[in-house]
Amino acid sequence: MGLPDPSTLSRRDYLRALVAAGGTAALAACVDAPGDTSVPAGDPTERPPRQHAWNGVLRADDDGNPQSPEHHVLLALELSATITQETREQVEMALRSLESAYAYDPAGLLFTVGYTSSYFERVGSDSPVPEPETMTTLESPEFDDFDAIVHLASDNPEVVLEAEEALFGEVSPNGAKMDATFEGVFERGEPRRTGFIGPGLPAEHTDMPEVPDSIPEDAPFFMGFRSGFAESQAPESRVTIQEGPYSGGTTTHIESLTLQLETWFEQDNHFQRVAKLFSPEHAMDERVGEIGKKLERETGVAGEIAERTEQDARELGTVGHAQKAARERDEDGAPPLLRRDFNTTDNGTPGVHFLAHQRRIADFARVRQAMAGEDIAGEGVGKRLNNGILQYVFVRRRGNFIIPPRDNRALPAD
Amino acid sequence: MTSNEDTTVHERNRLPRRQILAGGSATLLTALAGCLGSDGDGDNKSGPDESTPTPPPVADTDSSPQIPEVSDPPEAVYRPAHMADMNHLGAVEAGPYMVSPMLSYPHSFWLVTGSKAERVRPQGPGVHLMFSVWDRQTGTVLPVDVGAQTQVRRDGEIVDTRSPWPMISQTMGFHFGDNISLAGPGTYTVEVQLNPITVRRTGEFANTFETTQTATFEFEFDEELQEQLVNNITYFDKKQWGKQEALEPMGGMSMGGDESTQGTYEGGSDMNDGGDGSKMDDDSGMEMGGGMMPYSSLPAANSYPGQAVGEPTSGDASFVVRYLTDTAPVEDGYLFVSARTPYNRVPLADMALSVTGAVEGELVQTLDSNLGHHYGLAGSLAPGDTVELTVDSPPQVARHVGYETAFLEMESMTVEVSE
Repeated sequence: MGLPDPSTLSRRDYLRALVAAGGTAALAACVDAPGDTSVPAGDPTERPPRQHAWNGVLRADDDGNPQSPEHHVLLALELSATITQETREQVEMALRSLESAYAYDPAGLLFTVGYTSSYFERVGSDSPVPEPETMTTLESPEFDDFDAIVHLASDNPEVVLEAEEALFGEVSPNGAKMDATFEGVFERGEPRRTGFIGPGLPAEHTDMPEVPDSIPEDAPFFMGFRSGFAESQAPESRVTIQEGPYSGGTTTHIESLTLQLETWFEQDNHFQRVAKLFSPEHAMDERVGEIGKKLERETGVAGEIAERTEQDARELGTVGHAQKAARERDEDGAPPLLRRDFNTTDNGTPGVHFLAHQRRIADFARVRQAMAGEDIAGEGVGKRLNNGILQYVFVRRRGNFIIPPRDNRALPAD
Repeated sequence: MTSNEDTTVHERNRLPRRQILAGGSATLLTALAGCLGSDGDGDNKSGPDESTPTPPPVADTDSSPQIPEVSDPPEAVYRPAHMADMNHLGAVEAGPYMVSPMLSYPHSFWLVTGSKAERVRPQGPGVHLMFSVWDRQTGTVLPVDVGAQTQVRRDGEIVDTRSPWPMISQTMGFHFGDNISLAGPGTYTVEVQLNPITVRRTGEFANTFETTQTATFEFEFDEELQEQLVNNITYFDKKQWGKQEALEPMGGMSMGGDESTQGTYEGGSDMNDGGDGSKMDDDSGMEMGGGMMPYSSLPAANSYPGQAVGEPTSGDASFVVRYLTDTAPVEDGYLFVSARTPYNRVPLADMALSVTGAVEGELVQTLDSNLGHHYGLAGSLAPGDTVELTVDSPPQVARHVGYETAFLEMESMTVEVSE
């Protein structure tokens, strides 16, 4: 993959393009790019037992919503060795080397390591997660059938690039030493996925034909609104497995989507976007504001508005995406998914890697089916038409992963 | 009241390519004037001729040629000022479906949210891509949102991914369509993915249309196509604008005639008998580029089985209400309601209808292999019973010009079963 041209891009855009390109040349270019590149080192003993425990160190926005790191890489891995005490130690040592090199912080490196059902089949044990499958009648996705994944996240683009290369012995991480690498145990798999998140970042992609100029300047997500409101996110404890060999771990589902933003921004108006993303009530009452700041910490779809979903379809001819999803909240109102999704321009088109943690993959399936709204299709809304945001999203891939607790993250086989 | 205009071609800043027909106002007006004057059928045209290239009323900005529009249309189906030209591509088979693609120039249409229609203006050079989806066995257009998805490729590279809107047009009937910006001339390949239909299906449609199917077709986008589409726009005499009537289905695709029982209903039976998806009654389709393209007209009211209960109207839509007692899908009493446009009898899909009175409940949108698209509910009616039909939400399908002011504000209707 060729490197981006720094003379044609803003600094932030250039750095994101380097993350997307990947490799040691991109890393070198990233290091050479102007800007503060000092990265705090870390201590593996400071990391919590749950790999997915990030909230404690995430920054918060003005309203107290945790903010995911800016840069993300999803690294697919193929197992190339048998599991022995030695290979396990090698993997654990490589991960600990990263933890020593980078602080447990968005300025340093946050990461999780997960395994697919293909991995468990290969190593001959029962998989704690099901094989990925089609979840709605609107999709024909490809499936993640590689063995393992590393989700790397940092506010610093150099960190995600460097950590990736360090795992394969190409570079030293943050001036530190890798006591071991993945070499001989894991090979790179396909696809390599990348992305970004943050106010204003999507609007910097208007050079792409599919990203219209009308995307709000300070929107953190391609759809033009804030997302990941504290109240609509599961607490980390809600997504943590409570028993069995993976107790303390979680699961990850990654759904890679292509977005149709020209239609969303240039055909629909703000009222329609709010009605379809949140609920018709949100649109009529102007509850959202241009990009969602008026909502502060809550989408406000849980309870009454979620319960009105079928009625809104019949009487208002439109239902909101968040409204539909909120139908699957727990009895106490807690959402079952902890979303750590991010924008992407992989493959040259705008999209989302919708990454979510939940206790069981079945929790994801249940919420996703509620989002699909097939129960209300034909009852005032269409299969896609006015049925949330289905008109604008296209599922490309799905993958299921177990994220073991940190002390069992290296080649588990329970 | 809204007015409307169509933009044939519109310059888009980021496209480096020399814009044919869109290079500047002079080129545009010359092209448009040429097309307006070339037909020579002055009686039916309101546009200028070549010697007096007066532009039609301009409603938009920039250098885009504008099409005259009806400034104060009625809140009903009306006759527009012009008729777009279509380029029909050959129909493509996809499992149980046939897909009939068509191209036009990018034009305005209206999205419906609740009871509001919001105009969508064309965004740049390209095409208005349309296709209708019909059952290969019966030749019946399937007039519901199937959640179709398209990917447009040029030289193998994906240049557009979207889900075209379910739409209704006076000349094209129910179809899927959207304006697609194209970054220059070339051969474009369109892959249409049809997703399983989840609307209730009955009769021979039960357990069908349940798998994803893909149809692929190609088209050449070039100056010739753009000129042809623009040059063949038909302009009507101003005296006809805004009249409460509709343009005829394209190319004489037919609706069967009021007095006859032809149309999709019986045409469908003929198809079944023939057992060959490529043959069709002359009255119910048109031959196009190696494939037939049926028009989505519903049968006339008197060609349905059962007892007539009423034919009320609301928001300019016609409702054929019948009580079926010995006909599938429910043999012991079924309230059948077919909602359609006036004149062309295009089905009005994705609306929510409920009923109170002698039968109460929400009607279910249904595709039946014999009865076609309708809304229905099991229940018993006796002579003298009345029912009130309520449109909970109007048909949410997008609208082409001439349909955007109708089927929005829809009052409830009361019908009585005759003695």
